[in-house]
Amino acid sequence: MTLARLAVFFVFFLSGFAALVYQVVWQRSLFAIYGINLESVTVIVTAFMLGLGLGSLAGGALSKEPRRPVLLLFAAVEASIGAFGLVSLPLFHRVGEATLSLPPLATAGVTFLLVLAPTLLMGSTLPLLTAHLVRRSGNVGKSVGALYFVNTLGSALASVAAVALLLPRLGQARAVLVAAVVNWVAAAIVGGFAVVERKGAREA
Amino acid sequence: MSFSLSLWVAGLAGFVALSYEILWYRAYGIVSRSMPATFGWLLGAYLAGVALGSLGSRAFCHDDARAERRRLLPVAVFVYLANVASFLVVPALARLVTSVKWQLSLPLVALAAGLLGAVLPLASHFGIRPDDRAGARLSYVYVANIAGSSLGSLATGFLLLEHLSLRGARVALSVAGLALFALSGATATSTARGRLAVTGVAAVTLLATAATSRAVFEQVHERLFFRKAFTADKRFDALVENRHGVIAVTDGKVYGGGVYDGILNVGLRDDPNWVFRAYALGAYHPAPKRVLMVGLASGAWARIIAGLPGVERLTVIEINPGYLDLIPQVPIVAPVLKDPKIEIVIDDGRRYLQRHPGARWDAIVMNTTWHWRGHSTNLLSAEFFEVVRARLAPGGVFMFNTTLSEPVMKTAAVSFPHAQRLYNFMVVSDAPVVFDEARWRRTIEDYRMDGAPLLDPAGDAWDAKRMADLLYLPATLHRPPVWEGLESRESLLARFGHLPTVTDDNMWCEWHPSDLEEE
Repeated sequence: MTLARLAVFFVFFLSGFAALVYQVVWQRSLFAIYGINLESVTVIVTAFMLGLGLGSLAGGALSKEPRRPVLLLFAAVEASIGAFGLVSLPLFHRVGEATLSLPPLATAGVTFLLVLAPTLLMGSTLPLLTAHLVRRSGNVGKSVGALYFVNTLGSALASVAAVALLLPRLGQARAVLVAAVVNWVAAAIVGGFAVVERKGAREA
Repeated sequence: MSFSLSLWVAGLAGFVALSYEILWYRAYGIVSRSMPATFGWLLGAYLAGVALGSLGSRAFCHDDARAERRRLLPVAVFVYLANVASFLVVPALARLVTSVKWQLSLPLVALAAGLLGAVLPLASHFGIRPDDRAGARLSYVYVANIAGSSLGSLATGFLLLEHLSLRGARVALSVAGLALFALSGATATSTARGRLAVTGVAAVTLLATAATSRAVFEQVHERLFFRKAFTADKRFDALVENRHGVIAVTDGKVYGGGVYDGILNVGLRDDPNWVFRAYALGAYHPAPKRVLMVGLASGAWARIIAGLPGVERLTVIEINPGYLDLIPQVPIVAPVLKDPKIEIVIDDGRRYLQRHPGARWDAIVMNTTWHWRGHSTNLLSAEFFEVVRARLAPGGVFMFNTTLSEPVMKTAAVSFPHAQRLYNFMVVSDAPVVFDEARWRRTIEDYRMDGAPLLDPAGDAWDAKRMADLLYLPATLHRPPVWEGLESRESLLARFGHLPTVTDDNMWCEWHPSDLEEE
């Protein structure tokens, strides 16, 4: 396995880690604003799912064009998720205070819009990297399996780290900061490899 | 496998996986007593299983596609095994926790999730051609999986858990899982005999599931609730299951979501759960006309407070409507539902207060749950106290249960200029907090429950002792602090001022419990 390939798997592990930290913290934050009854929980979880689904479609559409630099796109996506992470909690609270008196359906819409941008970005990452790996390996199952493995493993680790370490020791705001830093590290690594790879391709 | 079939397989796999996760979360919530870390541990095990399943699936993703149809068999086998394993997680957990810690059962979750997790990469492999459009096609398969997961979460959370028991919901999910098996199995075989065999296996498994489910789920709730204290003779007197949770009653004690939630008691004669604290509102406020109570539970506190002198309107906010099914079954609290003074609103307590910025109450009372349960911060943080403070009428008091969390006591004492501790309760206000001895005596002597006095000190020696104990309470304020007494704000701050303030951000009370008993 080449170093570049290893780097792709490693950054996707980091990406999965950061995503789950956000999910755990954002859910907690939104529950405090919109309530912890089943209806609120369902709206928030479904909003996450819808965002991921739409993001997957967007990532898939972006990956169709073979000449498009999918690794650079991935780096930009990770950096953007980190940037949103930084402003996420104050944004949730401001919007929450302003929209709390809205009817339930409107509240659901607001919640969806709040998590739409980051989850859309998160959802786009798997198709982008799948396209990158399939172009090199020619095997869909192995590419998806490996990517899904490292990403989900990162998320699994983040689930445990969030409740065993991050939330008890750091609280919500600093846990989100950790996730943002992880996003930027991932962006820097994959961005670096993408630049080197393009340079090599041009020289060849 | 055609691309459209891979979409169906991925969608149905997502539906089944998320549905099971919801059911598992309910069972693990009960067995872990709703600890805040439960979600993380369960999700961690679930995702680790999915990760390993997707890794294992790579062994079946050969480049050679000549024998493609035959090679679809692993999808069907994974689905079948996942279905069996998923069905057995809760009964196995219920049996395991009677002898070991619940965390030791998490590998079962990982195994079941892992078998289901293998389906997405396999469906992608067999349904997507390895060309430039692979990323785009994968996105559709992924969306199908997510759409199935969302539908699973909605269907199971809102329909199955509302209308079926834990056992019934699991049998219903088996039907969905076996349909997925039949779909993938039938695709893997090209002969009529093969398809008949797949259908036969699905039908026999479904019949076996339905036939054995009663025995497999026998006393499952009792096992989850009592854990190591479970014995075969333990059965709940009442059990209410709905989409909001599980409420159980045994030996006069009420349990919500696996945690002690109160005792069905409204009297002072035998007062094992310190219900006198509800009567104490009469000592703290001369005439609390409008009272808000967060948490109805068994209804005992609502019954007492509605009968206090001066109370004209009691609004009770309860998150779980299941208590409305339980209360009519218990004669001492049943009148709560017919009392014209009492209005019951099904809502989240914090959200209700936030959504009523113009409302003011003379007293806000919360005898809510343990500080170490997940999401208790929402009702115990400095930010919440700020909201409550803004909803108190002039002279109004806020009384709430700290469940003996010292950081919560400190947070209340620094959030309000006036505070006093009453046993495990804090009583706080913008006005001086005074436990009025004369009003306290009048409250106890004049209160009538079903037309009868609370105590008969003249005719009964035990009642006379109870009356003396209760009337001694104000004197404890001027003595060295003990838990079973009153304590001033100054004393509390001197003892606990160095502790962290509980905030929405640090959720301190949940993650750093003060008195959690170890199993």
